[in-house]
Amino acid sequence: MSGLLEATDLRSGYGRADDTVRGISLALAPGSITAVIGPNGSGKSSFIKTLAGLLPARAGRIRLAGQDLTTLSPARRCLAGIAYVPQEGNVFRGMTVRENLALATEFLRGRAGVGPEREGTVLAMFPDLGQAWAKLAGNLSGGQRQMLAFACALLAAPDMLLLDEPSAGLSPRFVAEVMATVQRVRQLGITVLLVEQNVRAALGIADRVVVLVGGRLVAEGPPAEIAAADLGALFLSRVA
Amino acid sequence: MPAQLAFSGLVTGLILALPALALTLTFGIARFPNFALGAMVTTGAYLAWAANVLAGLPLLEAAVLAALGLALVAMALDACAFRWLRERDGMTLMVASIGLSFVLENACRFAFGNDARSLAVEVARPMRWHGLRINHEQLTAAATVLVLLVLMHLLLHHTRLGRAMRAVADNAPLAAARGIERGRIVSLTWAIAGALAGVAAVLIALDRAIDPLLGWNFQIPVFAAAILGGLGSPVGAVLGALLIGLAEELSALVLPTQYRQAVGFGIILLLLLLRPHGLFGRAVIRR
Repeated sequence: MSGLLEATDLRSGYGRADDTVRGISLALAPGSITAVIGPNGSGKSSFIKTLAGLLPARAGRIRLAGQDLTTLSPARRCLAGIAYVPQEGNVFRGMTVRENLALATEFLRGRAGVGPEREGTVLAMFPDLGQAWAKLAGNLSGGQRQMLAFACALLAAPDMLLLDEPSAGLSPRFVAEVMATVQRVRQLGITVLLVEQNVRAALGIADRVVVLVGGRLVAEGPPAEIAAADLGALFLSRVA
Repeated sequence: MPAQLAFSGLVTGLILALPALALTLTFGIARFPNFALGAMVTTGAYLAWAANVLAGLPLLEAAVLAALGLALVAMALDACAFRWLRERDGMTLMVASIGLSFVLENACRFAFGNDARSLAVEVARPMRWHGLRINHEQLTAAATVLVLLVLMHLLLHHTRLGRAMRAVADNAPLAAARGIERGRIVSLTWAIAGALAGVAAVLIALDRAIDPLLGWNFQIPVFAAAILGGLGSPVGAVLGALLIGLAEELSALVLPTQYRQAVGFGIILLLLLLRPHGLFGRAVIRR
């Protein structure tokens, strides 16, 4: 198994409760889009948080391009090349769009690829942000906030982008826009891991789909294969 | 008379603004009300007294040493206690801060005794201006606080550290995912809060005797100011402090002066009943 990002037998959980992520192993090919789907409570968000470092791993390993990230803080993982966009609270609501964008790179000095050239590329991808420069991020619409979150993540010149349900709560028009943005991100050479409730949208753009149930990986394959499977039965399956 | 009271109220409010700002900064970033603040102010006053009276240093140098010393004390409180409880709820941290308040207060009693102490300040005749009686200490306090408030505004809005402090207060997990080391920012915020409380301690000690309960007497009005401004809002804390200072002094027009302390309590009570998020804070709905 070799990939840009590799998780090996990863386990994590909250507080003193049982593991939420129960031994997931996964390797992501460079430049690919992988969608993680599964029913509510299947550990999708916990898995992506564990990769980002916001939920400590209890066991297992996480490697990015061979570098072991397992015990690194979220900030160090960001410097190593991981960008994470959470489902909720994806921007600093009490700060302006300009401040949000400034903070995206201010603490990443020394990371290759961060700089004016990247800024030019990213701001050209999201021209609407230029008009909202002085607005508080908390006053933006859900779709605009998602775009700002994407822009901030991309400014960090990541190798790996982790997206936690980027389409949640958005109108269908914005869902299409978000999915198109994910595809454009891939064109920048960035590998994407996307957790999604909107299975149809996820299958539409992913190269590979992973199904989690009960904190375990129960199926994986190309989108056509997963689409042909009986997802209802898979989602209802319980792994002992 | 009302003009004199209003002037004194504004100066009192400005002095309250520094610890209120310290309280609101640490609340924003560590999510608990620091009940050790009063004891920190007491510690700062004793540090200034030790530098000024025991070591014979000029007041300005003593004040700088007190601010730096209290910054270190605040960082030590974070490193020894609060950091280890960071993942616990705010109630646990609040109770820990109450415990640390007793530790600090009794450390001061042990080191400096229970007698009242005073800084070595020459007594000067008050100035008169348009019928107002203005003490030199009041002018020093007002000017110092105003300069510090401008510096704090510049720090919070125009520096990398300030933006990081606001980012951690706004959304700590996202800040971590943006490359900001939370532990370092929290520690530096404690240092800044300690320094602000240290300067406030010196300004308070210019006007009154230093005893082990010095800071405790300011705890209620400082909490009232920070809550009035909406805990976590720096501008709110300053405006809240000015309002509390004015309310405390002007209450002398209608209440016997021994009830002055009750004004802060009364304002906290009314706020919790009518506007729990403060005058300038944002309402938060938790589900």
